[in-house]
Amino acid sequence: MSSSAPSSVETLTVRTRFPIWLRLIFVLALLFAFLVAIRLMGSSIKAFGKGAAGSMFDGVANPFAGLAVGTLATVLVQSSSTTTSTIVSLVGNGTLKLASAVPMIMGANIGTTITNTIVSIGHVRQGNEFRRAFAAATVHDFFNLLCVIALLPLEIGTGVLEKSASAISGKLTSIGGSEYESPIKQAVKSAGNWLQGSVEALGFEGKALAGVMLVIGIALTFLCLIFITKNLKVVFSGALERTLNKQLGRSGLIGIGVGILMTVAVQSSSITTSLLVPMCAAGVLTLRNAFPIMLGANIGTTVTALLASMGTDNPDGLTIALVHLLFNMVGVLLFYPLPILRDIPIRMAEKLAAGAQKNPFIVVAYVGGVFVLLPLLGYILLDK
Amino acid sequence: MFDWLQSLRDHSQLKKIQRQFLEMLADGRHIFDASSNALIGGTDPEVIREDLYTTDQRINRTEQAIRRELVVHGSVHGGAHVPALLVLMSLVKDAERIGDYAKNIFELALARPELGTDAERTALNECKDHVSKLLVRAAGLIESQDEQLAAAYLTESDKLQSLCDEQVGILMVEKGRNVVAAALAYRYFKRVASHAGNVVTSIVMPLDKLDYYPGKPDRDQ
Repeated sequence: MSSSAPSSVETLTVRTRFPIWLRLIFVLALLFAFLVAIRLMGSSIKAFGKGAAGSMFDGVANPFAGLAVGTLATVLVQSSSTTTSTIVSLVGNGTLKLASAVPMIMGANIGTTITNTIVSIGHVRQGNEFRRAFAAATVHDFFNLLCVIALLPLEIGTGVLEKSASAISGKLTSIGGSEYESPIKQAVKSAGNWLQGSVEALGFEGKALAGVMLVIGIALTFLCLIFITKNLKVVFSGALERTLNKQLGRSGLIGIGVGILMTVAVQSSSITTSLLVPMCAAGVLTLRNAFPIMLGANIGTTVTALLASMGTDNPDGLTIALVHLLFNMVGVLLFYPLPILRDIPIRMAEKLAAGAQKNPFIVVAYVGGVFVLLPLLGYILLDK
Repeated sequence: MFDWLQSLRDHSQLKKIQRQFLEMLADGRHIFDASSNALIGGTDPEVIREDLYTTDQRINRTEQAIRRELVVHGSVHGGAHVPALLVLMSLVKDAERIGDYAKNIFELALARPELGTDAERTALNECKDHVSKLLVRAAGLIESQDEQLAAAYLTESDKLQSLCDEQVGILMVEKGRNVVAAALAYRYFKRVASHAGNVVTSIVMPLDKLDYYPGKPDRDQ
């Protein structure tokens, strides 16, 4: 009689080490630390001096280079939230121009899809299972690529996203009142100053101090986002599971809502989309039913940048976060309502997956080309 | 609709799946009793036909729903829950097979066969009652996870299955009368008891020994 038999249903039910309320308090503390980190990043880059900070981003004045930078940065850190939060911080302190930041935000959208593509490669030896998994992963890639193809030239020509976001941002800040500073913002400022004072007390000053603060800011942003996501996933795992179970046989607008809610709850579109890949691989979720959830995830993930904008003083921080939101919403409005347009990314993904099933080299060429080679070439060739 | 608040209270979708599994067992027992009563007790099989097929379809739908939910659970919770998913994937097949054997018994009952002398009929009926009780107890054990009771259950189930085999052996050498239906009935009762036993092995055996009884050599040895 094995008392430690691992097969007992009862002993294998979900257990969490910490109570939910404690995790939620921890998440709130992490959110505060995240805002402090955003502020630290911004102020440390400013402390390098205007010339130095400005030259760092001169190259990305070319929108295609900016797109490449956004893609590469997100591929490297495997988190669009980190990239967009950093961009918000840079725009918020005036280091990065709003117009230069817009293509970077679009690039972050492309870069973030590599995570679920990597997840799908785990099924590579399983024939049809891999075909379904790879199609589920790449439909998100194709949708984001098509959005950029459609909206980046329009933005370069008209600046419509930037102008719209500026108008909304202007309205929102005027509601708050120019003189009013929220208690959260004041607390973030105090914590940032305290942290800077602590580093100064260690003997750092000038550019060395700015360098240390920048490293702390980036590391803190990254760590906060990782732990926020991890804890929220534990807190909401039951809801995620229930919601996905209900969504399996459904399609359409409700899927977009599910994708938004799931992503806002766990603060990561990669988690939402990566959850869908094994379900599609197993065949319990169809590509057409998974697609709207992915579109919802694109919209839901913009909440992180909006949160990050709370850590900046300049309304441009909020504007670029709104550009992220508008870009993803316009993308959905453009490609989802009409079946003929909706089918384009789905068919592209199905075709690529069918090819990849026959020839695995296509997978290597696709991932290497779209996520590394093209952005790298774009940056090298177009950087001033 | 999304039960977000519920998620803060209840973290175990596996428990929900377990409840669905227990419903499968209850449905299996219901149609086993109904079809066995039609075979031995003289109930008109046509009276239970619709209920039997509807219940069997529900069992099949629940099996498929559980499988889907297990895939979703695995996707959300990852590797740590793989053993539980594999166990449940195996158990739902056993529960589904109980429904299939109930249908086999029903098809046998449709022929209104001879089941031997009164004494033989009584013995068959006692065997049926024993299997039915074992089905109820299997569900209770899945809930309680009591290892000692599970071990005792498996010993008892093993004896009952041996008894069924003995009866089939005796009937096989009968001459001069048709005992096919009785032999088939014992065979089906044994299979139902065996599938219920497989479910209970999940309480006392490690995953690789699922469906094998403690203290017994592997069946293929």
